[in-house]
Amino acid sequence: MIQACGASLVYMDHGRAVYACHELNVDVRENEFLGILGPSGSGKSSLLYLLSGLKLPTEGEVRYRGQNMAILSDEARSKLRLKEFGFVFQQPYLLGYLTAKENVALAARPGNGVLDPEDLLDRLGMGDKMHRHPHELSGGERQRVCVARALFGHPKVIFADEPTAALDHKNGTHVVELLNANRGHGSLVMVTHDPSMLSEADRILRLSDGTIESEEEGRLRLES
Amino acid sequence: MIADPPPSRTKNGRIRPLSAATYLVRNAGRTIPLTGVIMLAVVLIAGIVALMNSIPLSIRTTYSYSKYSLGMVPRGSGELSLNILAKLGHESPVPIERVVKCRASGCQVKSIVGKWPFIVLGMNRPDIEYFLKRLGARSLDGRLPTKGKPEAVVSEPVARNLGLKLGSTLLSPTDQDNYSPHTVKVVGIANTNEWVMLDDIEYQRENHFPPVDNLMIFAHDLQQQDVLDRWAVKTFKGDRTLVFAYFILEKETTENFQTLYAILDVVIGVLVLVITIMMGMLINIYQSQRLVEFGLLQAIGYTKRQLLQRVMRETMWVLVLGWCLGIVCSYVLLIAADKTLMHPHAYALQTLDPVALRYTIPVPLSILLVASLTVWLRFRKFDPVGVVERRLV
Repeated sequence: MIQACGASLVYMDHGRAVYACHELNVDVRENEFLGILGPSGSGKSSLLYLLSGLKLPTEGEVRYRGQNMAILSDEARSKLRLKEFGFVFQQPYLLGYLTAKENVALAARPGNGVLDPEDLLDRLGMGDKMHRHPHELSGGERQRVCVARALFGHPKVIFADEPTAALDHKNGTHVVELLNANRGHGSLVMVTHDPSMLSEADRILRLSDGTIESEEEGRLRLES
Repeated sequence: MIADPPPSRTKNGRIRPLSAATYLVRNAGRTIPLTGVIMLAVVLIAGIVALMNSIPLSIRTTYSYSKYSLGMVPRGSGELSLNILAKLGHESPVPIERVVKCRASGCQVKSIVGKWPFIVLGMNRPDIEYFLKRLGARSLDGRLPTKGKPEAVVSEPVARNLGLKLGSTLLSPTDQDNYSPHTVKVVGIANTNEWVMLDDIEYQRENHFPPVDNLMIFAHDLQQQDVLDRWAVKTFKGDRTLVFAYFILEKETTENFQTLYAILDVVIGVLVLVITIMMGMLINIYQSQRLVEFGLLQAIGYTKRQLLQRVMRETMWVLVLGWCLGIVCSYVLLIAADKTLMHPHAYALQTLDPVALRYTIPVPLSILLVASLTVWLRFRKFDPVGVVERRLV
């Protein structure tokens, strides 16, 4: 569904070219849970930004359903993200003046009809707090609202960038379970530095210094 | 416990969390100061301009009685009046309805900027009756002056301006500003909006200088009067006749205030500039505080265009609301000023002054321009990844 072909992301650091990602070849398949694992600075978040169209590769290309994302205008890429992708970020970013339900409704996807976030929030255990504002929610609850926003409208791919980083282990595990259990037929691409969060992953890419160190099928990894 | 606000929805039930109203109402801490600054700026500008305009308006109002007739004063000899009348009779472009012989003595009225000269017109009784009728007098409290007696009729605004009642002294031998050899008492107050002071012509002939009768020439209506006035000013130019016409008063008032209005333009311009810079800074600060919001929305798929449109919609709402509130507020304040300060002294003030309204228009327009520029510059190279990676927060 998403292919990164020789994709590199270079940025300049005091006049020196630094590779955040270096000639990566990645394929995100339909309905899979792809884990991207690596230490801090290994380029895993950069890869996620490349795959989701938030960043364009400086070399190589990233294709979504065969369409090179670099050819699309900034506006078209934005529309693609809203229509096809869901996002969960490291921090539970919510708009403070909106309720949990309204924050979820931000991700209303064009063409998917009128949906009500209430069922989704109910499933994520936030039914009784959907009218609360972010400052009235705990960190775990906020991240669950972010999960609901990412899942709202049945996106084709959900990108999660260290969604458990700001949570304790128990809450983190719960958030990943919720993401995986409610993604329907959508793919899930999750970046983390914590291997225990990828116990349900179908496939895991290990990154180091901007390159893929290894690729493991989920079951094999569990057995090992 | 205060209930949470219900989510804003469209008619088809779709929630619209990004509507301008939702943001503005739920962020009153930001909306109110922005709206308040615009409102105060509009109040300030509308108030200053309306008060400034009240000066020329007062001149026009105080001397407005002169638009009902053409005033002609022979210079040097009363016999010149015959020549004037003969010329008028032969050459006037419009029919003359009435010619009134009168005398005039000086006095003063109060204005917002000090005392202004005025005249007491001496006429015979039928002419006083005619003149008051032309001035639109609805009724007369008291009576008209008796022939040869030191008695006067004043109009209601004059009575209010000088605090006169029936029996009050209008002119007196001890008052240098309002002098007459005998104490002239008010015996009648005419109910008309025009400013006028009238006494008996015989009294004036016996007691006041110069010993020359003046002429007041009346056309049928104000339109014909203006034609007659303009013709007379042109025709009698260079003659030994002093011509008083209302259009000259209007022209001179406009010319005299040109410098003052030029200064006012500069002051208002500086004020608008200061307010615009201040608002630009405020908007910039508020936009900076919303970087996470913009970054998040752009990251999850909102386009720059959508975000720009949204911010501009919010700005427009604040500007329109602030301007409208400012206009309403200035109107209320000017009504209060009129009731308490101006009307009791018959000072003229236009509470809904279109010129003052026009002066306030640059406020929202310049702020809109600065806001558009600020927002455009912010979004031009805005990278949402910087926000979601926490590099910009």
